Amino acid sequence: MTLLAQYALTGVVTGCFLILATIGFSLTRQVEGFLNIAHAEMLGVSAFITWGLNAVAGWPFLPSAAVAVVATAFLGLAIGRVVYDPMRRLGPAVLLITSVGVAYVMAGVMHAIIGTGIRSLDMPLATSYKAFGLRITDYQMVVVALAAATGISLALFLNRTKTGLAIRAMSSNPELAASRGIDVRQTSRATWLIASGLAGLAGVMLALIATLSTDIAFNQILQILAVAILAGLGSLYSVIAAGLIVGIAMDMSVYWIPAGYRPLIAFLVVILALLVRPQGLSGKARS
Amino acid sequence: MKTQTIRSMLLKSTLLAGTFAASTLAASAQEVTIGVLVPLTGELGEFGKIVAGAVELGVAEVNAAGGTKCGMIRTVVADTGGNPEVGIREATKMIESEGAVAVVGPTSGVMVALVDLAKRTKTVIMSPYAGTITLNELGGDYVYRTVSSDLGDGAASGLWLSEKGYKRVAMLVQNEESTISPAQVAKDKLAASGIELTDYVIYNPGQPSYQAELVSVLANAPDAIYLAGGQESGVTVIKEATAGGFEGEWLFTADLAVPEIFDAVGAQYLNDRAFVEFADADSSLPEYKAFDALYQEKNGAEPGPFAANSFDMANLIALSLEKADACTGEGINAVIRDIADGGEAVSSFAAGKEAIAAGKDVNYEGASGPLAFDASGTPAGSYSIQQAKDGKWENVKFYPASAFE
Repeated sequence: MTLLAQYALTGVVTGCFLILATIGFSLTRQVEGFLNIAHAEMLGVSAFITWGLNAVAGWPFLPSAAVAVVATAFLGLAIGRVVYDPMRRLGPAVLLITSVGVAYVMAGVMHAIIGTGIRSLDMPLATSYKAFGLRITDYQMVVVALAAATGISLALFLNRTKTGLAIRAMSSNPELAASRGIDVRQTSRATWLIASGLAGLAGVMLALIATLSTDIAFNQILQILAVAILAGLGSLYSVIAAGLIVGIAMDMSVYWIPAGYRPLIAFLVVILALLVRPQGLSGKARS
Repeated sequence: MKTQTIRSMLLKSTLLAGTFAASTLAASAQEVTIGVLVPLTGELGEFGKIVAGAVELGVAEVNAAGGTKCGMIRTVVADTGGNPEVGIREATKMIESEGAVAVVGPTSGVMVALVDLAKRTKTVIMSPYAGTITLNELGGDYVYRTVSSDLGDGAASGLWLSEKGYKRVAMLVQNEESTISPAQVAKDKLAASGIELTDYVIYNPGQPSYQAELVSVLANAPDAIYLAGGQESGVTVIKEATAGGFEGEWLFTADLAVPEIFDAVGAQYLNDRAFVEFADADSSLPEYKAFDALYQEKNGAEPGPFAANSFDMANLIALSLEKADACTGEGINAVIRDIADGGEAVSSFAAGKEAIAAGKDVNYEGASGPLAFDASGTPAGSYSIQQAKDGKWENVKFYPASAFE
């Protein structure tokens, strides 16, 4: 029983990482209307900036992470303006393919700069804590806390601020939003900044828990897609629910079936959920 | 069906034309080309660089001795990134455009993907580290390696784990053929020695965390964990298991036999309790000592993993060209087994060239050990176990090929 609970707890952490990795992706999908495959590489950019400042330049972790998040946010904004904005009129399919190209370019540049081999931050080993027979490390707690803080602050931002409300208006009906006087460009830029900043945050977490190589960030794209599809179009809360469902289902499955099938579980959950609810968890269909 | 025949005919004639054009080109320039097809990027990039460097060293020695009777050896290098598709594309380019008579250095996955191409274009392919058991079935004709099969790694790991006196062992194995097949051999050896296998976990690489895979392993607190994984997954697994309170010992496989591991994990967590198993040259052999001295003289550093095996590939191919009737892959394939076994023992290209000129049969004794090929084009292997001591890997045990008879 304790073993099963340990799997569930590990699943919550996995889910929280997935939430952090997916929430920006979903935001872009809602406002800009396409699947930004390059989002996963943004995690990598942020992870390697954190690594460069922390392990190479010798900065402490927090300032390295802060610079990485801000730099990734602005890089995302720049890519949004330079690459995606001129392509927008060509429709979501072209944008999707373009984003695959962007992902390749980013991967190539990172590879050229970073090179082969593995990298890790200059941080002490995680410390484990035990309660009720369950084990959790301090880094895992950071991931959970950060996912919770991100969810709450994003909810406040989207419900309480003018830009947040504009983003929500744009995501539910762009034409109507524009006709009601919302500055579409401004809102789009805010979205790129926030979505890429969130990718940056997930990248910092990736650097904290994982061993970095230039392809690890892109390896996360399938799970990001799984969570985003399960969440469907709609509120932020469905991303949180979808992330937790996929994370917990994947990790708890290891109790019964070989761990090699763990990534498949993510898609099994998505397929089963979509058979019952084709519109995704949020229950909103694109008009 | 019909279109397929036409297409294959077209392909064959193109290949023929290509080979012809390339061989005339090579003959006119008095050069013979060897393709060096290695991963220079990706997870195995560090190994690819060592292999390419050691092949170049071998080729430089051959050319310094006046080259082969087919002319000086020229190398063309390409990066596969470890990807079989890229490997096929680059190998085809080497064979058709560059006129390569042999392609050396592919990793396991690429090597298996190239078997068809090698046989079809009659080009020798050779790997210094492709231990995959798939080649135990496919190798032997045009397909060779200077390293033993992965099954030998499994046998060596199993032997070490049994001899060490562990009672309970867990196995964590990356979901790849090259890690699973030796793990199976090691697992059988553990069962035969009456050691309890607490967990046998096959995991997928590329994850940010392996906590889920470790839950049951850590709960069972084994005496030792056998970890057969790449560097990226391996380092995360070691860190998470250590943070999770694992206090036993480790046995890693060859991918983790690199110094970078100490920086990435923290040497204090590995010292004295981590061991690594890998196919290794018998460093007591005079052939190895000669290679080691040459390598240090030219590179100012100790030879890395598989450097000796790579150096041997260059010599085997050069000596085969020297002996062959034709300066082609077919020529090499016809004599390479004789070069590796039977006749007067030689340990350098220069000595072999002299012996062949005198009309003698030669037996090339490699820097990595005896290279007599079995039916699948694979030599018998020897293995080393190293222990982590003061942030470095140090030899603690050597298993010669005879240990497994």
